[in-house]
Amino acid sequence: MFFAFGNLIYISVLLVNAIAILSEDRFLARVGWSNTVSEPAFGAGSAGDASIKNKLINLTTSVRTLMRIPLIVINSILIVYEVILG
Amino acid sequence: MQRTNYGHPAPATSPPLHHPVPQHVSTVPQLRSPPPPAPQHQTSGYGNPYQQQGPQGGGSAFGAYGGFMADPTAQMGFQVGQTALKHGTEYVEQNFNRYVNFSALKHYFNVSNSYVVNKLFLVLFPWRHKPWSRKQTIGPSGQEGWFLPPRDDLNSPDMYIPLMALVTYILLSTMMAGLQGAFNPELLGYTATYAFFVVGIEILLLKFGCYLLSISNDSQLLDLVAYSGYKFVGVIATILVSEISNGGKGTGGWIGWTIFSYTFLANALFLLRSLKYVLLPENSNDERGTMQTVARSQKSRRTQFLFLYSYPLQLLFMWILTRI
Repeated sequence: MFFAFGNLIYISVLLVNAIAILSEDRFLARVGWSNTVSEPAFGAGSAGDASIKNKLINLTTSVRTLMRIPLIVINSILIVYEVILG
Repeated sequence: MQRTNYGHPAPATSPPLHHPVPQHVSTVPQLRSPPPPAPQHQTSGYGNPYQQQGPQGGGSAFGAYGGFMADPTAQMGFQVGQTALKHGTEYVEQNFNRYVNFSALKHYFNVSNSYVVNKLFLVLFPWRHKPWSRKQTIGPSGQEGWFLPPRDDLNSPDMYIPLMALVTYILLSTMMAGLQGAFNPELLGYTATYAFFVVGIEILLLKFGCYLLSISNDSQLLDLVAYSGYKFVGVIATILVSEISNGGKGTGGWIGWTIFSYTFLANALFLLRSLKYVLLPENSNDERGTMQTVARSQKSRRTQFLFLYSYPLQLLFMWILTRI
């Protein structure tokens, strides 16, 4: 039951990289996961009709927008660590 | 210095001379050290009675200590230490209260003996219990107040049992490893990290599910942590019974898996009934107009999510924890 945190960090960084790499217009729009703004439906149904798919799309878009620049930093640190320190 | 009397002649007796009194030890022994400065704000409730008894204790034991408290430098050092301790306590409290909500934590540890016994019984045998909703105090304006502490309400989640169960699990699994001859002191840290990691992953998944299904979570995060800590009770029972009955490597064979499946089912039922009120707001007729119309598909989806959370996820985690 030897549990390693280093492997966990690697796994999470790789997964976030995979989310951030996906191309917006070549892949996501084709599948249908693009970030189209829904029609402005004012009323009490705005919180209820956000389906699971819309929420997932929102989540991935926000992760991509937020983590682009920190991912550059983290990847550089990991590359330096792996190359220089073995 | 004496004022020289010009008008009146000096009396026959010699004027009182101002002898230089030797100063190297205490000239005026202080029988009682001055009272500490009155605390401005009563933030440290438990720190104050300790400090207010300090100087009186030092003063009343003056005769017993003899020359220890008589030294003014020692007393000054004592008071400086007292003030430093008071300032340090206030500083730590003010800074800690920003990160860890202490008053909320105190609510979770407000348990009694009968509550602990009944709750353990409930976790292991949950099918005979009838009312599962938590009791609330009625606020001053007739609206619902806050929940009752675990001392008064059997259905309220507490953090005492999960914390004790976690520590017992760590010690027990380390002891098992020691009985099998594979013990090293780092195993304690590994097990602790592993258990915390399991709890953390579970809370993350639960929060992710709540976000996806747009379940507005009224109850706090600590409630969910407490609920996810109750499975350690079943894990401990499984490890103990299977170790006793097997003799060797635990959680294998007939009895181990029987006990494991029973405690898993009991834990799942307990979670289902308890989290029903947290995750599925069915008919909450309150004055807040947030959760208006929960569509039928949403409701079935939420029920599915709760079911999914209670059974397969808990099965996975309990199996992970009993793998030793």
